Amino acid sequence: MFLTRSEYDRGVNTFSPEGRLFQVEYAIEAIKLGSTTVGIRTPDGVILGVEKRVPSPLLESSSVEKIMEIDAHIGCAMSGLTADARTMIDHARVTSQNHSFTYDEKIGVESVTQAVCDLALRFGESMDNESAMMSRPFGVALLIAGIDEKGPQLYHTDPSGTYTRYEAKAIGSGSEAAQSDLQDKYHKQMTLREAQHLILRVLKQVMEEKLDHHNIQLAQVTKTDGFHILSETELQELIDTMPAAPAPGAA
Amino acid sequence: MNAIASRFRASPYHEQGVEQDQNAQDSVLWGSQGGFGNLRAGAPPEFVVPNVPSPTAFLQLHTDDHADPNCRIKIAHGTTTLAFRFRGGIIVAVDSRATAGSYIASGTVKKVIEINKFLLGTMAGGAADCQYWETYLGIQCRLHELRNRERISVAAASKYLSNLVYSYKGMGLSMGTMICGWDKTGPALFYVDSDGTRLKGDVFSVGSGSTFAYGVLDQGYHWELSDEDAQELGRRSIYAAGHRDAFSGNTINLYHVRETGWEFIGNYDVTKMHYDGPGNIPGAPVGGYGYDARVSTV
Amino acid sequence: MSAQERRFNPYTENGGTILAIAGQDFTVIAGDTRQSEGYNIQTRYAPKVFRLTDKAVLAVNGFAADGNMFVQKVQQRLEWYQHAHNKEMPLRAIARLIQTMLYAKRFFPYYVYNILGGIEDDGSGAVYSFDPVGSYEREACRAAGAAQSLVQPFLDNQIYFKNQLPPSGGAHPKHLPLKEVLSLVIDSFTGATERHIEVGDGLEIYIVTASKRPNADLEAIANLKQVPGGFIGGEDGEKIYVVRRELKKD
Repeated sequence: MFLTRSEYDRGVNTFSPEGRLFQVEYAIEAIKLGSTTVGIRTPDGVILGVEKRVPSPLLESSSVEKIMEIDAHIGCAMSGLTADARTMIDHARVTSQNHSFTYDEKIGVESVTQAVCDLALRFGESMDNESAMMSRPFGVALLIAGIDEKGPQLYHTDPSGTYTRYEAKAIGSGSEAAQSDLQDKYHKQMTLREAQHLILRVLKQVMEEKLDHHNIQLAQVTKTDGFHILSETELQELIDTMPAAPAPGAA
Repeated sequence: MNAIASRFRASPYHEQGVEQDQNAQDSVLWGSQGGFGNLRAGAPPEFVVPNVPSPTAFLQLHTDDHADPNCRIKIAHGTTTLAFRFRGGIIVAVDSRATAGSYIASGTVKKVIEINKFLLGTMAGGAADCQYWETYLGIQCRLHELRNRERISVAAASKYLSNLVYSYKGMGLSMGTMICGWDKTGPALFYVDSDGTRLKGDVFSVGSGSTFAYGVLDQGYHWELSDEDAQELGRRSIYAAGHRDAFSGNTINLYHVRETGWEFIGNYDVTKMHYDGPGNIPGAPVGGYGYDARVSTV
Repeated sequence: MSAQERRFNPYTENGGTILAIAGQDFTVIAGDTRQSEGYNIQTRYAPKVFRLTDKAVLAVNGFAADGNMFVQKVQQRLEWYQHAHNKEMPLRAIARLIQTMLYAKRFFPYYVYNILGGIEDDGSGAVYSFDPVGSYEREACRAAGAAQSLVQPFLDNQIYFKNQLPPSGGAHPKHLPLKEVLSLVIDSFTGATERHIEVGDGLEIYIVTASKRPNADLEAIANLKQVPGGFIGGEDGEKIYVVRRELKKD
């Protein structure tokens, strides 16, 4: 096994005899090093939350940007190599604007997700006959949240270019614990506020530092106001109103 | 000039004289990207150019109705548009007539293009050129906003448009537009045309009826105008052009740009303005702009 | 300009007229079927009105070869869109698409005047008219083609009530019923046939009805046929009908 790996895990466009693309698999591993990112869909909108690692008190935490706007009705949170995400998100933004230019309507959430995923497997290939080439798979996973005529939706994309729709999803280093936590506590009829508090709680459990309004970021996409990143005061208010965790053993 | 044209040729097949299917090379249109848009990332769309030694001469032969009024493809022309900057923001007023030769192709044209909540563009010259490129400018402004987390300045937006049309210079685009908006610097107004001219200014009027509009506008213009008087001046100026220029008329569309974005003030019938005036509106006179002045014995 | 360029004339004018009128919950799109070149009639049945989707119909007039090609390309783009986005393209999206497709040939235009009619997402009837390079506008009615200058003033008077005073104490109706719109369409074309040599032979009237519209008023119309389509909306969805009539053939 090890022998075959070392031979077949170098080329980005070479399958191993077992039919695996190791570089893509390694790229998916890279996400597990990223900070924890959580998304929850509710009937009124979608909430995204990320942990911002602030390793030094000298770091300006406001300059760490892990949730970005794709369009007024679609937002995106990332985990992994965030630099790679910029390429993908710019592609998503251009795709969304091109769609509204050509069709005079908002692009669908799934369509944007599909467009981003189209980019994911174009490594080892030159783009648009330009000399620039993407040399490796992206090392980032995205949670794409949005609202269109089909209602609020949450999608997860990974470096293999696969996308899946979720009611609630966690990615990044604390994703395993976070996902099982979500599985326990998520229910379909959650209010936005319940979802916001659930995200805070899930993040609090997996974060090493004490959660405060500097080291997390929350955003929401709602029917009324579209995409909105919560300000630090809004975050503080949410943290202050967080219901106490149920006593251990309680159902 | 045709060297420029060749840059916009869809594909090398053209050089071999083979008329290829435009869709075949436009891979963004189909397959996994099918239907997402007809623009390549960040670049203006591609255009089909006829396979002749001089594409520009070809286009002129078939579309330019100044040189040959009998040419087949008539592109709507003729207009009066104006915009001016004053204490209270920017007033934008336009007529709504589109003519093809001497036929009035439409009396309900929207010559103010709402680029976004803070930017307006006006339409004079080729209707399609203005509509298409100002809509295109709109998505570029939105991308600027997403990438830079702040609204584009009116100066930058107008320069983007000016550079864009300049890259097609000599290809036959026809547009004279005013880009109006409010940014960090306050109210801003730029004139941009398809020759590549871009001017910053306080008062502009564009189109076949502009001389008539300027006459009224310059006479009544003052920086310290009240909002009501400024709106009335815009309305009255377009009325004058509609009255004296055969290529302008039908209705007036009036907009006011303020710090909070633009506001549509109203649509006014030119004939009704002549006989009855705009009605009981602050700043407006009692009675019609034209009729009373001609028949009243006082 | 060289002599060779002067000879390159890829356009001709094939006559005929099209028109469309929007009602409250329906739209009527019609065209004659004569195709001519100069003073010669090439055919008495060349359709100029085409079904695009269950709620959109496109009429094309001008140079027939360009028009037919353009319709095919629009239909192709509609199919791609459906595969990419899993839905039928809304009417206003089709209108914008047509603008971008026409403008893509800004430097080698399609010599066609398009009128798009159908039902918007909000259930209202809508008409969009285009110039050959893609400038467009939503209107209540529009005539284009050889007899546009004969038909449009008639529609201005009968649809927009231009130069008509409302009945005393009343107002002009905002929307006309289908029955009246149909007779206006027929009168427009019989009138144009009388006075324009390039109009005549046959008349095709497409009627697009909004979803859930009680279509009882359609039963009285002679020669009415439903146009088969995708039936995405099911029994309650938008429907397209066509009425074919004869026009004078001299």
